[in-house]
Amino acid sequence: MDAVSIRAAYRRYAGFYDRVFGTLLASGRHAAVAWLNRRGGLRILEVGVGTGLSLSDYRKDNRVVGIDLSTDMLKVAQERVARENLAHVEGLLEMDAGKLAFADGSFDVVVAMYVMTVVPDPQGTMAELERVCKPGGDIVIVNHFAAPRPGIRRTVENWLAPLSKKLGWRPDFTLESLLQGSPLAVQSVETVPPFGLFSLLHCRRQGA
Amino acid sequence: MTTPDDKTSDSKGGARVDPKLLEILVCPLTKGPLRYNAERGELVSERAGLAYPIRDGIPIMLIDEARSLDKTGAA
Repeated sequence: MDAVSIRAAYRRYAGFYDRVFGTLLASGRHAAVAWLNRRGGLRILEVGVGTGLSLSDYRKDNRVVGIDLSTDMLKVAQERVARENLAHVEGLLEMDAGKLAFADGSFDVVVAMYVMTVVPDPQGTMAELERVCKPGGDIVIVNHFAAPRPGIRRTVENWLAPLSKKLGWRPDFTLESLLQGSPLAVQSVETVPPFGLFSLLHCRRQGA
Repeated sequence: MTTPDDKTSDSKGGARVDPKLLEILVCPLTKGPLRYNAERGELVSERAGLAYPIRDGIPIMLIDEARSLDKTGAA
């Protein structure tokens, strides 16, 4: 496929894909926040908070700090916090997920949704998420991980291959590669319906 | 060169940051302590020789965006 035909294909399908992917991405976000909302009294770091789409969904007895690399996104998030009076949002900061400006063990929970495939150094970023999480605390990742075996999911992935760049995923990005050399203990991995393209990964920092 | 205009915009850009948030913030480069300069609206890392700006209430904790203390003198 040459560039012209790829562009033409995108033009034809752009609206449809946006609807499908908006829904798919939202389902992953909702799954993660629902998981986090089982408990209150926590200090949570949301890495890649973007425009703050999830901020109003958090339990109000949890405190949330959001970081992102994009000033423009953060400004939208800031307006949302003011407009919806989201007092549980403790702060919004511009930060590189691979070079966090938080002290060790600052958070009870660290959550990163659709972040790990767009950072240049996923393993280094995981190490940073672990560092700022309290010993015994939780790290929650929502991401696309490449299907380990051929099957329905692999077929859907192939069907969506032209969009992999737009979605920021890497076809070869596996759970194993993300956690390579990490001392984090995997607690659970669940695929998020529909299609199971995205997974909700829960790890725990050792200690405490 | 620092002009009066620069100073005005610096202090204007510095908005309040939650004190509880300040407690957990460190320099992204050295992971060392930060000093909050309310007048300039900056978070100063003495060890790194960098000052991180706070723009419209959003701390910009990026090394590339930080002001080098060597070039413009002490904050």
